[in-house]
Parts: sequence; structure tokens; C-alpha cells
Amino acid sequence: MTTIPLAPPVPGDDVLVALEKAGRRKSRRRTPGGVVVDVVLVVFGILMISPLVWLIVQSLTVPEFAFASPPSWLPIPFTLQNFADVLDYMPFFQQFGNSLLLAAISTAGALLFSILAAYAFARIDFRGSRLLLVIMLSALMVPAQLVIIPIFIMMRQVGLVDTLASLWLPALINVFQIFFLSQYFKTIPRELDEAARIDGAGHLWILFRMLVPLSAPAIAALAILGFEASWNGYFGPLIFLSSPENMTLPLGLVTLQNGFGAAPAVVVFAAITMVVLPLLVVFLAFQRQIVESVASTGLKG
Amino acid sequence: MSSDTITARRPGALLQRRRAEAAGWLFVSPAVLLFIVFVAAPFVFAIALAFLEWDLLTPPQFVGLANFEQLFTDPELPQVLWNTFVFAIASIVTHLVFGLLLALGVNNLISRSIGYFARVAIFFPFLISWAAVSLLWKYVLDPTFGYVGQYAAMFGIELPNFLADPAWALPAIIFIDLWHTLGFTFIIMLAGLQTVPSELVEAARTDGATGWQIFWNVTLPLMSPTLFFATIITFIGAFQIFDPIQIITKGGPQGSTTTIIMYLYEKGFQAFDMGYAAAVALLVFVIIMGVTLLQFIGRRKWVHES
Repeated sequence: MTTIPLAPPVPGDDVLVALEKAGRRKSRRRTPGGVVVDVVLVVFGILMISPLVWLIVQSLTVPEFAFASPPSWLPIPFTLQNFADVLDYMPFFQQFGNSLLLAAISTAGALLFSILAAYAFARIDFRGSRLLLVIMLSALMVPAQLVIIPIFIMMRQVGLVDTLASLWLPALINVFQIFFLSQYFKTIPRELDEAARIDGAGHLWILFRMLVPLSAPAIAALAILGFEASWNGYFGPLIFLSSPENMTLPLGLVTLQNGFGAAPAVVVFAAITMVVLPLLVVFLAFQRQIVESVASTGLKG
Repeated sequence: MSSDTITARRPGALLQRRRAEAAGWLFVSPAVLLFIVFVAAPFVFAIALAFLEWDLLTPPQFVGLANFEQLFTDPELPQVLWNTFVFAIASIVTHLVFGLLLALGVNNLISRSIGYFARVAIFFPFLISWAAVSLLWKYVLDPTFGYVGQYAAMFGIELPNFLADPAWALPAIIFIDLWHTLGFTFIIMLAGLQTVPSELVEAARTDGATGWQIFWNVTLPLMSPTLFFATIITFIGAFQIFDPIQIITKGGPQGSTTTIIMYLYEKGFQAFDMGYAAAVALLVFVIIMGVTLLQFIGRRKWVHES
């Protein structure tokens, strides 16, 4: 989960422009080579999504006929029972809620504190600010697994193990966000601040009424990535959470297929489908924003 | 002219200066407090922990350098580090090659709908949690349940039981990781391709350069910042690979997929040998710090900056 801040290659917008451009470039002739590229990409794309299609098909098939050989790519005979069975094996909606709550608190909280700190680093000349930023940035080299051991011991001491708080509390500090946002704030002309100050505006007004709206794309990108990282996180929940009703979805899924009373494969597949399908809908709806945020921040969760 | 030089000449400048100081610290204080509690203090604590023997049940004992001695003589560690580096290097090579080829392909696409399909198909797996991906692939690669083995059997080919075979388990995890995170590299490469000025490519073409020559002498050198960035970020991510290994193979068979973080997890959170786990974590920290510092030096040397 460690990330190193490096200058992103180019703003994310350029990727989107490139993607939109594909297909508009009428000047290029349809060459035999071009057709080969088309075919290769289509075949590659089909191979990429084939596990997902297979997943959804099996989850919709009557258990005795699922995972049949030769593989079936249509749900015959069709059933929705597997999805109903998921709820007998795991508190799916409880865990869905836990994941949602954890991702929402972590993302919103971290962004709030990052915005405040980034403003100070970008706009206020206070003694020690440079040293403070260097210290914080050097922490980006510290792997999450190193600090999680003491944090685990700490959480045990204060009795927060097996609660969502043990996960969102450490997530409230995000040095990468602070750095990224302060760099972004610095691209906004300082004259705007001066003008607002002459009109009697204070720091909070300048920050939340001016800089934050002007930085909306950057903040949205960080929010998307933060939410995604928290929603998909596994290492933290694995270490901190133990009761099924407190688990997040990724840990719940894994628990579903091992240990006592492991669910049948079709039920596991139905549960995975229940996680993947909503995600696909969200992705198709917000594709631009999601791809842009990944391209512009160059972050890997 | 900055505002400070103007205000400095006004009376009450000192007061204003003080207020700025106070405001600055006020704005960073929540972040600083959280940083101390959840980053700085745990970091110091982790270093101290490496000098202790502690199972969290009995009181901790100071053991000096014993954990580090154990680290350097651990018979399992060479295999673990080997697995980790093999995974990381294979991950870099496969991600960069496939990511770049796909980005080149999509960049030169004629059909818009194929572009849309390719983008969705390549990028979407990156958004799925490792938990879901790992469970799914455990079945996909299963010799009896999975369609890979089923199709092979139809053609009379008997595939190895990839995830249960010590020779095949790590390559299988490398493959699954490629499927999962290729979309990220692809997007980064696509972004990098946009930094190559099309005039240069056109100029080379007018001068009679072949597609291959253009790629090798124009596109690739101009892409070097992106390639460098992708290499570093892939290495750091791959070096810390954990989720699919813990879920699919638990480090097996016969330790063939135990990577350094999996090893750390076993020592710290299964054997509850906190001191030794901290020593292993410090080793990870040193390696990642080394690579990060190397990239500062390497950037100047290898990267073509325009």
C-alpha cells in the first residue's frame, strides 16, 4: 500500500483525449496491419473478461450443473437460488454496510485533514513547514506492514481490535494526499488569495470557498482512489477483524470459502458476483472519472 | 512581489507574522497529530520491537540483536527473498511489455467501439478486490472445476495442477497478478504515449523511417520517464505482494510462493513472534528505501528529459 510520489507522466485529461481520438482519426487508412491490431485487441479483451463471464454464468446455474465440463457459457438450467443462499452463509448486507462505512469515513476524513494540511504547506509561510513536509514525505518509504505491527499492539491495548475504528483511524492520515494537494494548490495563482483577503476573507473562506472548488478534479481523483483502496483493502481487515458481523466484504468473501461451514462453490461465486456486478455498473457509469484519477495520480493501491 | 515584503514595512508586521505562524500550525495540527500517533510513533516502536522477544501474552524481553542474527541465519529467508524478487522482476517485465503493446495498439485503433471494449476489458479487473480476484482464479485454474483445464482436456492435453505444483504455483500467481493489475500499467503507458509529439513521429515517417525504427528511436526514448515511473511503481507494489498469496496458496506448496510480506504475516500474526516480524519488516523497509534512493540517481542517468 506504500506509494511513492513521482511526477505523473501527464495530466489524466490527455489519456481521455487519446481514448476519444481513437476512432475519430479518419486520415489513417485501414491497412491490413491495422485490422490485425483490431482483431488482436478484441481477442485479448475477450480473454480478459472470460473469467468474469464464467463467474457470472456459474453463479446463475443450478448447483449440480455448474462447473460442468465442457464449460458452459450460458446459465442452463437457470436459478437465482445461489444468491439467496449467500445470505445463509454470510451477513452479506451487514458486511456491505461495513465496507461502505469504512470507505466513506476513511476517504472523507483523510481528505479533510489532507486539505487543511495542504493549505498550510502551500499558502502559509510558517516556521518549520519545510522540515515538517520533508519528514512526512520520507514516511512514504515506510511500508504499511512495518507500522501495522505496532498499530495492532496499540489497538489491542485500547480495546479497538475487531472494530472498524481500528481501520479508519490510521487511514485518516495520508501523506501522499497532503503532498499531491499542496502541489495542486500551488498551481492556483496566489493573487486570487490576495484579492479575497483585501475583501476581508479569512483562511477558511479562501480554502473552502476558493481553493477547494478550484481543485475539484484533483480532490475527486483522490477521493475515488481512496475509496477504492479502502473498499478493496484486505491486509488491514485480515489483521484487525475477526467476527463475521464486523468484517468488510473482501474478508467476508475469503472467510466464506474456508474454515468451518465453508459455502459450496456456486454460493461463493454468487457472493463474488454480488461484489463484482455493482462495481461494474459504477465503473461503466463513472469510467471517465475513474480512468482519469488513475492516470493523473499514478497511484497503485 | 510577495505580500510579506509589503506587510513587513507596515507597523504591526510582527503581530501579523505571529498570526501567520499560529494559523499555519493550526491548519497542519490534525495531520501532524495523526502522523505522530499512526506513523512516527509506530515507526519508532517497530524499531524498538525488533530488539524484543514478545508474543503479546507474556511480558516482552530485551534480546539485543538476536532477531537480526536470526534474520541473517534464517534458513527459510533466502528462498523467501528469491520468490519475492522473481515475482517482482517477472511482474515488471510482463506488465511493461504487455502494457506498452496494448497502449500502442489502442492508440492506433481505427474503430471507436473496439477501443471502448478494449479499455473496459483491460482496465476493469484492476478495480476488483484481490479477495474476489483470488477466489475466482482459484477455481479458473482448478484442474477439474476450471474452464482452462476443461478445454485443455477436450484437446487431450493434461495441464499441471498449477496452484498445487511447486514448479507452477509462483508463475500462476504472476499470471493472475498480470490479469489483475495490467489495466493500471496500460493506462499509465497510454498517458505516456501522449507525451510523444506527433510531429516528431510524422517527421521521421517523412524521412522514410519504418514503423519499427520510429518505435525504437523516437517513441521509446521519449517514453523513458513513463517507463521508469512504471518500473519503480510496479516494483514497489510487487515487492509487497500479499493478498493473492495469503488467499490462494498460503505460501505453499512447499514454500514456493512465500514472499517476504507473507513471511512477515506468518511470523507476526500467526506465530505471534512480534520481535522477529519487526526485524523482517525493517528489512523490507531497507530494500524499499534502497530502491527509492536508486530511482533518484537512476532518473538522472537513464531518463531522457526533454
